[in-house]
Amino acid sequence: MGWEKEVEALRERQRLAKQMGGSERLERQRAGGKLNVRERVEQLLDPDSFIEVGSIAGKSSYDEAGNLVSLAPASLVIGRGKIAGRNVVVAGDDFTIRGGTNEGSIRDKLTRVETMAADLRLPLIRLVDGSGGGGSAGMMDKDGHSRVPGYLGWDLVTANLNTVPVIGMALGSTAGLGSARVCASHYSVMVKDTSQLFVAGPPVVNRLGAHQFEKNELGGSQIHTRNGAIDDEAESEADAFARARKFLSYLPPSVFELPPRSEKRDDPKRNVGWLIEAIPREDRKVYKMRPIVEAVVDAGSFFEIGRFWGRGVITGFARLDGWPVAILASDPMHYGGAWTADASRKVARFTQLAQLFHLPIVHLADIPGFLVGLDAEKTAAIRHGVAALTAIQQTTVPWCAIIVRKAYGVAAAGHSNQSRYSVRYCWPSMRAGSLPLEGGIEAAFRKDIEASPDPQARIAELRERLQRLGSPFRTLEAFAYDEMIDPRETRALLCEFANLVAPLREPGRSTFGYFPI
Amino acid sequence: MNPAKVRTEVAGTVWKIVAAKGASLAAGETILIIESMKMEIPIEAPRACTLSEILVSEGDVLREDDVVALIA
Repeated sequence: MGWEKEVEALRERQRLAKQMGGSERLERQRAGGKLNVRERVEQLLDPDSFIEVGSIAGKSSYDEAGNLVSLAPASLVIGRGKIAGRNVVVAGDDFTIRGGTNEGSIRDKLTRVETMAADLRLPLIRLVDGSGGGGSAGMMDKDGHSRVPGYLGWDLVTANLNTVPVIGMALGSTAGLGSARVCASHYSVMVKDTSQLFVAGPPVVNRLGAHQFEKNELGGSQIHTRNGAIDDEAESEADAFARARKFLSYLPPSVFELPPRSEKRDDPKRNVGWLIEAIPREDRKVYKMRPIVEAVVDAGSFFEIGRFWGRGVITGFARLDGWPVAILASDPMHYGGAWTADASRKVARFTQLAQLFHLPIVHLADIPGFLVGLDAEKTAAIRHGVAALTAIQQTTVPWCAIIVRKAYGVAAAGHSNQSRYSVRYCWPSMRAGSLPLEGGIEAAFRKDIEASPDPQARIAELRERLQRLGSPFRTLEAFAYDEMIDPRETRALLCEFANLVAPLREPGRSTFGYFPI
Repeated sequence: MNPAKVRTEVAGTVWKIVAAKGASLAAGETILIIESMKMEIPIEAPRACTLSEILVSEGDVLREDDVVALIA
């Protein structure tokens, strides 16, 4: 006789564990428009690829004869599986077991999964639904004492931010530590209407004041995908999983490997003739940057990240002749592309991400400067701007900058990494300077203007002269910038850049730590 | 469909009202233009709609997220 009996006993325990919090709680989860943790794992991963770890970890009870009476599984499901045939590690909260809180969890699972991702050098996806292992008043009652806050495993979370791609998904009401586990990531996503992110939810907050918050009003995606707490909003859990899969497709499994080139290609010389008319000749008129990005990268390859926050800057991954790259682009529809505090935070976060996973950066820049005015001062635009410029200068990944229109002020210094050689192009529509002429003339020639019998005429005269000097041809003739290109050549030159620098990408740890700014 | 609010994402001054109350607009059609950072920034219809109301006038100073129009 072999060990069949024990294998059957194992299977029985696994069957019990798969019942999760029981039919009533599962029904409540479904009625709330949410998938349960096992459905989530199944939908996220390639079919039948999930290999669970700790499948029968939980709280078991036995009768006096030593027979198993019950098994309540831990509130965290962990394991590994595949996405598009590549290995990943998954950690999913089970909200049907004590609301995903610490009381239902086995803390070692939480740390085990972080270690698994780090040591197997595989991407980690956290499916967060609940407070995700945080304490509660119930815990204190059980322990008989309070705890000084700490997070077992935050050292692992921090280390993973510098080692493997981490995705944080808010798939229900996430609060406290649960929210922190979502944000401690390289890509975060939440589902419209069915997920929320809080420091503390309505039961706590509504005790503080007269206003009684509904949960989406306090922590819905309309708040957190606009303030940068979360990168993207998904229409459904399926959409959120699709985004996670897409995000990973551009990245290596860890910093110790290079991002893979796609088999799918697009003609580098594909006709993008309309780009000659993309930038209006009138200075005050804006244009749409997203179609320009879509036109120059491989068809259908642009994956935007963080569309709804820091909107003066567009960030995302794309491919050029199959090579994955990081795209930074200005959006003149938002303050003319000026860098607000949020836009700068977005640049800093995204630049670090590109650096970490060895993605060359392409910057389609139209930067009129930092945002000016009282709001800009109150939100510390300059401080966040410095963070962005510092992140840019610290990168060691290859850069290609294309100044498509404006490059003014300190912010525009961020068009490329100037600490080393960057490939730098401009379109004929480039206008550059320390300060735009409007306002800049009055500041620089104050005495001259005041001494004039007709100050307005003098300003006009100075403007006309400086406008002539502002021609990009003079800048290039003085070799104060590298090269002007025909906008219609942009795609071909970007593909040339991607091929040129592909051998320069170096696997290994970044020279500076990733900071989830 | 209930009237939906159209908000400005940028602070600035209403420079020009382009569309008329009651107009049928295609998605992306300009409702009005805001001057901000010396640029003319259009506020567009987020979807095909009827412009129920314009809540601002030319010259008004707006803050981020101010409601500028109602659409149905």
